Formats: sequence, C-alpha cells, structure tokens
Amino acid sequence: MTLLNVPPTRNATPARLNCPEDCRTIVARDIGMSYKLGDRRVPVLRDIDLSVRSGNVKLLMGPSGSGKTTLLSILAGLLSPTQGRVELLGENITALSKAQLSRFRLENIGFIFQGFNLFPALTALENVELALDLRGIRGKEARDRAQAMLEQVGLGDKASNQPRDLSGGQKQRVAIARALVARPKIVMADEPTAALDSHSGHAVMELLRKLAKEEGVTVLMVTHDPRIVDIADSIIHLEDGIIQGS
Amino acid sequence: MASLARKNLLEDIPRFLVAQAGIMFAVVLVTVQLGIYRGFLKSTALIVDEAEADLWVSSEDMVYFELTPSLAAENLFEIQGLDGVELAEPLLLPSAQWHSQSGQLSTMKVIGFDPDGELFQPWNIIEGNPEQLDEPFSILIDRTNLRPLDIGGVGEVADINSIPSTVVGLTEGTQSIASSAFAFTSLESALAYSTTAFSTSLSCQSDADGNLSCDRVARRVPQENWADNRQEARTLQASDTVTHVLVRIENSANLEEVRAAIESAIPGARALTGEQVAERTRLYWRDRTGIGFTLGMGAALGVVVGVVIVSQILYSSVSDHIKEFGTLKAMGASDWTLYGVVIEQAMWMAVTGYAPGTALCWFIAQWTASSMGIVVLITPLSSVAVFGITLAMCVGSAFFAIQKVTRVDPAIVFKA
Ligand SMILES: Nc1ncnc2c1ncn2[C@@H]1O[C@H](COP(=O)(O)OP(=O)(O)OP(=O)(O)O)[C@@H](O)[C@H]1O
Ligand SMILES: [Mg+2]
Repeated sequence: MTLLNVPPTRNATPARLNCPEDCRTIVARDIGMSYKLGDRRVPVLRDIDLSVRSGNVKLLMGPSGSGKTTLLSILAGLLSPTQGRVELLGENITALSKAQLSRFRLENIGFIFQGFNLFPALTALENVELALDLRGIRGKEARDRAQAMLEQVGLGDKASNQPRDLSGGQKQRVAIARALVARPKIVMADEPTAALDSHSGHAVMELLRKLAKEEGVTVLMVTHDPRIVDIADSIIHLEDGIIQGS
Repeated sequence: MASLARKNLLEDIPRFLVAQAGIMFAVVLVTVQLGIYRGFLKSTALIVDEAEADLWVSSEDMVYFELTPSLAAENLFEIQGLDGVELAEPLLLPSAQWHSQSGQLSTMKVIGFDPDGELFQPWNIIEGNPEQLDEPFSILIDRTNLRPLDIGGVGEVADINSIPSTVVGLTEGTQSIASSAFAFTSLESALAYSTTAFSTSLSCQSDADGNLSCDRVARRVPQENWADNRQEARTLQASDTVTHVLVRIENSANLEEVRAAIESAIPGARALTGEQVAERTRLYWRDRTGIGFTLGMGAALGVVVGVVIVSQILYSSVSDHIKEFGTLKAMGASDWTLYGVVIEQAMWMAVTGYAPGTALCWFIAQWTASSMGIVVLITPLSSVAVFGITLAMCVGSAFFAIQKVTRVDPAIVFKA
C-alpha cells in the first residue's frame, strides 16, 4: 500500500515511517466558529470533531454556506476558531503564534485553490520554483526539482508557458505541482475542480490522488463535485455547520 | 522571489513608465538643484581658485575677495622685499560702469592683473590672447556676457567708466554667477578705470604740537565729468592702491612664517591662502543669497513629488496583486519575504528611474553651461549622493504598500 508505492529515489520522511497504522495527520476537537456581524455573533460551525488518517484523501462536502471553507481555513491554520483545537502532525496549531503558524504551513502544507492562484507574471516553471524558493531552495536544484515535478503532472513541455497560455486543467496541474514540489505532508484544497469541466476535473483529481499516494501525502479537499467522490478514501458531510456523517 | 518583484513590475508597462517618470523628475530636480548650488558656489570663487598664489594679502576687513578695502600699493613693494617671498603681484578689482555703443548701461567688475605676471592669468581663452592686453584699454570678457553687455564680439568697443575700451578676446566658463560681468585687463588699464570716478588729493592737518598728519582723500567725480577726469594708462605707483597682493613663497620658505612676516610688516593686512579666500567667498554668497535654502526647497519638492508618485504606484501595484500576496502568505511566506518583494520593486524603480534621470541631468548641465554660462556641477560624489537619496525615496515610498501587505488576511485565498 502507501509506503510500498514510494519510489526508491525519494526519501520517506521519518515522521511517515514512525507513523503507526491508525496515525492521524489531521485532528480537530470540538471546533466552534462564529462570525461577528454587528453586535451579533453568527455561529457557522458547531461541535466539529474529525480526524484524517495519514496518507488518506478525504473530501469535505456539503451544501453552499454550510461552512466548508471556514472549516478548511481553520484546519489549515489560516483562521483561528472561536473554540476547540486543531492538531496537525501531532502539533497543536491552535496554540501557535502567527509567525509560527506561517512557518508550520510553509514546512507542512501545500495548497490548491479553486481559482488556481498562480502568479500570472511567472512561467509555469517559476510558479513551481517559487514554492521551493520560499523554503530557501534556489538555483539549479530548485529548477531541476520544479522541472521534474512538472513532468510528473505531464507538463514538462509547458515549463516556460505563462499561466495565460495554459488551459484551466493545465493551470490546476501546475498548481498541483506547486503544492507538492516541496514534499509537504498535507495538501489542502478548496473546490479545486470548480473551474474545470467534468472530464479534466476528474483527470486532474486522479492525478492528485496518484501523486499524493506515491508520496504518502494526506489530502483534505472541499468539493461540491459528486463526480470526484471515487477518488476519496473517505468523505465528511457538513450541513449547517455540523458534521452529518463520515 | 527575485523574479516575482521584477516581473510584476514589468507586467504593467504604462504604470512602470509613470513611476519612472516620477523618479526621473525627482532625480533631475535634486541633481540640478544640487548642481546649481555647487556650481554657483564654485563660480563665485573661480578667480581665486585659478590664481596660483600661495598667499593672498588683503585688508583684514575683507568681506570676500571682490568686496574688500584697498591696500596701499607701497605694501606691494614692501612684500616683495620680505624674506621667503619669491614673487608678489598686485591684483586690482575696481567696479565700473559699462556703457555699450547703443547706450545700455551695466555694472562691471574689472580684473586688473599683470599680463606678464605668473600668479594670475585669465584661463579658458577661446579667442584672442592675453598679450593683446598690453595695449591700453583692451579687455577680455566671458563669451556668455556678450549678450548681457550688448556687444557683438572681438574688436568691438564700449565705454568703461567713460574710457573707450576694446574687446580683444573671449573667455569661457570664467564668470561668477553672482557677480557683475568680469573684464580682464592690464593693471595699467584697471588703474585708469578705477581713478576715473575719483580724484585724489592730500589733506593735511597740523595738531597742537605742530605735527603734520596727512590723509589721502578720494573724492567722487560727478559722472558727467568722468570724461574730463580721464586718466592716461600709467604704471602703478606707490601712491596708488591695489585690491590684493598675490604672493608666491620660495620653495624653502615656511608658509606660516611668511604669513606672519607679512602680517607684521603690514598693519591692517591679512595673508590668507587661496583656499581660505575662496572659502570665505563661497560662505559669503551662500549666506548672503540663502541659495542653499532656496535650492534645498526645490530639491525637497522633487523628493516629495517622487515619494507621492512612487508610493501611489507601489500601493496600486500591491492592490492589484493582493491575491498573490495572500497566496504567498497562505503558502507560509514570512512577512519579511513579502516586504522583500515590495522593497525589491521599489529598488528596481529607483535604479531604472535614476539611470535615465542622471543621463538627462548630464544633458541639461551641458546645455546650461554652453548656452547660459550656468554651471550645474555634477560630480561622481554628488551622483552617488543622489542615487542614495533616490533609493531612500523609493524604499521609503514602500511604506504604505507594506502596510497593505501586512494587513492581507491569508484566509482570502479560499474566497472566490
Ligand atoms: N468573514 C466572514 N464574516 C461573516 N460571515 C462569514 C464570513 N465568512 C463566511 N461567513 C459565513 O459563514 C457561512 C459559511 O461560509 P463558508 O464560506 O464556510 O461556506 P461554504 O460551505 O464554503 O460555502 P460554498 O460552498 O458556497 O463555498 C456562510 O453563511 C457565510 O456567509
Ligand atoms: Mg466555500
């Protein structure tokens, strides 16, 4: 299974090796979230308890406005919950300072966005290199790794294209390369197929699943898209801020 | 990350060009104002800088080199006899009135020197030669004064204190911006110009003990009588006055000793080095004109306009790329990484605005020097200083953009 798929050239990280079978990469305990609207507090999430097993691909589904994006932001350390705590890789990130959180995301989380969020002025290769640059990996090593990653997503020949010269599916594949190139342990995605047609949406998510499995990456993905449920190891349903079942 | 700053900047070329124009504006204003300041001050003491005297002997009441009580010419002969003095030559700097053929009146500063002397000679002579000054009432003037003095060129005649005088040559880059037009001429001619407006007589009184004390009294001659009071050119006599005595000391002599010897031999005189006289002159004009403040205001205005434009450009650039900054933040980029992008953009702007700005200044300086005789002094040091100011201006302008970057909420990345 997962570990056996790791190619020999890639070093499995110690964290992964030490992780027991039921090891949880993402754990949320008793999360509550409410937004302030004027002098009222509007509850958005209530009593959220969830966990994601290491190396699994988990989908977070639910109707619009049910709080999926809010929950994902909290789990990714982009938003502080009003209640409860989040543990990622055994670390209680709710207790971290802003700068520590930023560092934690840099080292452990790759992001994929609905709108791709590529840097339009940079080429595909430079977009991928950027993720390495932020981690202090530059020059030839960064270029080679970025190029290899682009080849893995099937875009080896598009390295010097700017995002505007790529199709939606290709852009999202560049974004996947960018999210994975620095070998994060977690990937978080919000509706990554929403801007793609159903065929390329499915193809791109298949690719993400394949690469994630090779690397043993844990994936948490918000989606509306019923056509990609087959890529998931498990699914959480959210309704009105409450988990309906998983 | 390096490429992100540069490429985001170049992505919107029109905006980039506006930023460049703003920076060029600031660079030109600062460089030109600084250059005019330095060029102005340098021009005020050009005559002093060009003289090859070790010491300038002048009245102790000298305000600056053009404004000083005269010395008695007999002091010149006394100085020539002092130990350690190799050479002493007089300089006579009377003010005069210039009357062009068509009747235009201008003030003039006559620079009377010994055309055969060694310590002062006009320089940058572009037409004619100093030997022609041996002919009485021949003058050299700066090319840029032709028009202000209402005279066509070499060979033409105008009156200086009612004495018809001939322009025998032209100089270039010799005029002080602060002074009246200079006319270089021989000592003899200068002496005649200086005495036309004055008649001198001895006034003697005897005191109670019967001792006779005499003073030389100069009385102003009414202008309508100048022509009658006209002097023939004659050589300097002990009873005349000179403005400065230029001294070259012997190789073996000690400057301080010669200076002390001169000052003790001639009461009321002071011996200063050329550098000291030049410095006093520049300080006089600086304080007298308040030019530092005026030009400083101009330069500050340039910087303010530059800051406003660059701030605005950087801020709007950050606003346009706010989603990218949010993405970087979500990906875990530190605040300083983000500031680095903005600051690097600011520095690219500084460099790319400075280079053409400085080139433009160089052309401006060439043009003002050749067409108006105004020296805009641009030195390597002042260029480096202006580059520093430009860099500080641009990086300082990043302040508001950085504020905006700081406030970006990384959670926006998941909002459509
Ligand atoms: N910054 C905010 N301030 C106030 N209310 C907010 C804020 N962000 C989200 N909400 C509210 O929280 C609720 C959940 O929003 P969220 O974006 O998490 O829903 P979602 O499940 O992602 O919906 P969709 O599928 O449409 O993206 C919504 O009612 C929304 O209006
Ligand atoms: Mg959402």
